[in-house]
Amino acid sequence: MNTLALAHSKDKHSQRNNKRVSSVVVPGPFAPLKRFVPVLVPLVILSTWQAASSGGALSSTILPAPLDVARAFIRLLLSGELAENAAVSFLRAVSGLLLGGTIAFLLGLSNGLSRLSAQATDTTIQMIRNIPNLALIPLVILWFGIGEGAKLFLVSLGVFFPIYINTFHGIRTVDPQLLEMARSYGYRGFALFRRVILPGALPSIFVGLRYALGIMWLTLIVAETIAAQSGLGYMAMSAREFMQTDVVVLAILIYALLGKAADLLVRGFESLTLSWHPAYTKGVRP
Amino acid sequence: MNAHALRIEDVRSETGASIKLHNVTRSFGSLRVLEGIELSIEPGSFVAIVGQSGSGKSTLLRVIAGLDSEHGGSVLIEKNKAPAVARIMYQEPRLLPWATVIGNVAMGLGPEVESRTALTRARRALDAVGLGDRAADWPAILSGGQKQRVALARALVSKPDLLVLDEPLGALDALTRIGMQSLLEQVWRDEEFTALLVTHDVTEALTLADRIVLIEDGRIALDIDVPFARPRRRGAVQFGALEEQLLSTLLKTSPRTEEYVI
Repeated sequence: MNTLALAHSKDKHSQRNNKRVSSVVVPGPFAPLKRFVPVLVPLVILSTWQAASSGGALSSTILPAPLDVARAFIRLLLSGELAENAAVSFLRAVSGLLLGGTIAFLLGLSNGLSRLSAQATDTTIQMIRNIPNLALIPLVILWFGIGEGAKLFLVSLGVFFPIYINTFHGIRTVDPQLLEMARSYGYRGFALFRRVILPGALPSIFVGLRYALGIMWLTLIVAETIAAQSGLGYMAMSAREFMQTDVVVLAILIYALLGKAADLLVRGFESLTLSWHPAYTKGVRP
Repeated sequence: MNAHALRIEDVRSETGASIKLHNVTRSFGSLRVLEGIELSIEPGSFVAIVGQSGSGKSTLLRVIAGLDSEHGGSVLIEKNKAPAVARIMYQEPRLLPWATVIGNVAMGLGPEVESRTALTRARRALDAVGLGDRAADWPAILSGGQKQRVALARALVSKPDLLVLDEPLGALDALTRIGMQSLLEQVWRDEEFTALLVTHDVTEALTLADRIVLIEDGRIALDIDVPFARPRRRGAVQFGALEEQLLSTLLKTSPRTEEYVI
């Protein structure tokens, strides 16, 4: 309709042009809503959930209403309890990641670069890798009690293997043709490592890091729910004892958000350092 | 007297490396790939090594380029009685995907050169291969021919005395290939290095080389001069006799017994 009205005042050529353009550009009546399609399903679920709770179909001891969770969030935020527990969990996660990740990265480097080092340690590491780290919890409680040492140990152990394996693999699979080329131009030792080996291994190392972040949260949640006196996992566990399901659900939601935030952070690092990689470029020049 | 002597020295120092191979052998296990190669190459000349796949031509090239040290006999690459700088251009461009085009070229100067000097010289080398405007791009977005030109700039940036080319045009399409051949000839004439080109393309060898060495079963089967004036036209009529001689040796047939039936 619009198109036809416009076309009357113009010549044949622009009429045709208008028609062609309008068929692409002029939106249908529901087009503005298309942007909201991804949030449509969560919204429907949330409102159904809220309606079921308010109507009494869903008992609050099974699942609290979304609004109750929001109220619990505000209550814990104002009392400072939430910030304190989140900070404790965050600190445990980061220190475990740093400790385990650093050791894993260094061992991966040394085993990737030196056959002797790999022969000496790789078999042992692969053997330990096959033990689920959470199976060690009883032993860890005996060793460290329920103090910080236990959490640090479990998280470090959990993040160790993905980072180790992917660093090792990344270095071993650096293109040998590039290595030969760089050596023929006189690159040896650290110069060779910095210009060729490390950048070549980086995509693989990042895969390990993202995988490690998932394991980091998983291990921490389990460790905190079993043996802790602070942290988000402890908060959820003690809330369960008082039937505060709203706090339990809140803790779960915060874990989801923290996991997502960590993943976004690594993605940011990736696009920063891997902008050369065809999979990460969007036609951007360096 | 002294000034005059210096002048001669300067002129001579621009004409590339000489190559002397004496009784060069190379075996992989019980398989002898090179059998007593004797070869002497004049400074500043353009020599093509042709041969079938598996003839040992690439092994010979790796020995000369210093990539293979487990060979017998002696290899002497010198310029003015001093060790010469040799650079190699591979069949694949072998560019670092995580370095920009100019970063890749600057890499050709080695790890010791200070980065600002390196970038200035790299820019000049890039201009020489006609890619000055792509300096800041990632290699991933270049075409195959452009990548090989970057690889050529990387090999030339350090002003080598010897440039060894391992079928660098083999993977390029026909048109890009012709463009690269004239670029190669041009930089060889400008920079006056010794060029050693391994190829299986007889026409390419005839277009570019002063001399063609044909390798067969690890030995030199034919060693001929190409006397035509430059620049040469591809597939020129005068190539005919030499081309037939080379092809018939490669195909192990005498010149007139084989008829081509299409």
